[in-house]
Amino acid sequence: MQSDQSSAADSKLEVADEVDEAALASVMRTVPLGAAVLAGTMVALLVLGYLLIYTLVFIPRGTIG
Amino acid sequence: MSDTPHELQESRILRTELLWAFGVGIFVAASLSMIVFTALTIKINPPSNVERIDPKTLHLSGEFAEQNLGTTVFGDGTVIVRAIATQFMFVPQCIAVPANRRVTLRFASPDVLHGLLITGTNVNTMVVPGFVAQVHTEFTRTGDLLMPCHEFCGQGHSEMWATVQVLPADQFKPGPDGRVSCAQR
Repeated sequence: MQSDQSSAADSKLEVADEVDEAALASVMRTVPLGAAVLAGTMVALLVLGYLLIYTLVFIPRGTIG
Repeated sequence: MSDTPHELQESRILRTELLWAFGVGIFVAASLSMIVFTALTIKINPPSNVERIDPKTLHLSGEFAEQNLGTTVFGDGTVIVRAIATQFMFVPQCIAVPANRRVTLRFASPDVLHGLLITGTNVNTMVVPGFVAQVHTEFTRTGDLLMPCHEFCGQGHSEMWATVQVLPADQFKPGPDGRVSCAQR
């Protein structure tokens, strides 16, 4: 790199923060819970949709075999 | 020796994953139980009939010869519908069936792959040349239902459809030979 060009590393905004182990551990105590709640809610909605279609559309359409 | 934060985090993730796997296991078991329950109680099963037929000669003699196509009521009350799916029509074009009575639908193709569904019902099958597609069902509502071909079978595919006329018991009257045709309108 030529000396008249600036590097992204010169800007503090562009450089990753130093990871504080204690802070990371405290964040990781809550983040997985949030991810589980989000994924659980989405899967629950999907299952609910499946059950509604199964009971309100598929079953009333009659037997098949 | 106490666990490091990293080990605590690992064990927490493992617990979450096990819990999730347990939930998924419950869901899969519940879905399978529901399928088995409906199969045993209200006879809802995936149609699974493996029966071969020669596509080159099926229209010449035997079950799918022209005089056998359509709806037939047998002495024991069994209702069997036979139809041919061919490019680009169903033969016959209109099928009369009784409401609230078990009906066996049998289809064969002399040319290419076809498929069919009957609107508003769970009847939905492919008609593979060389095999007889068979579906047992019971129609619960009277009226005319559309039965289109749902497997692309060539240039005329979009014109290939038939009508299923579901008749109430008092209008479903087999002739002396047991045959029933669509009511003239």
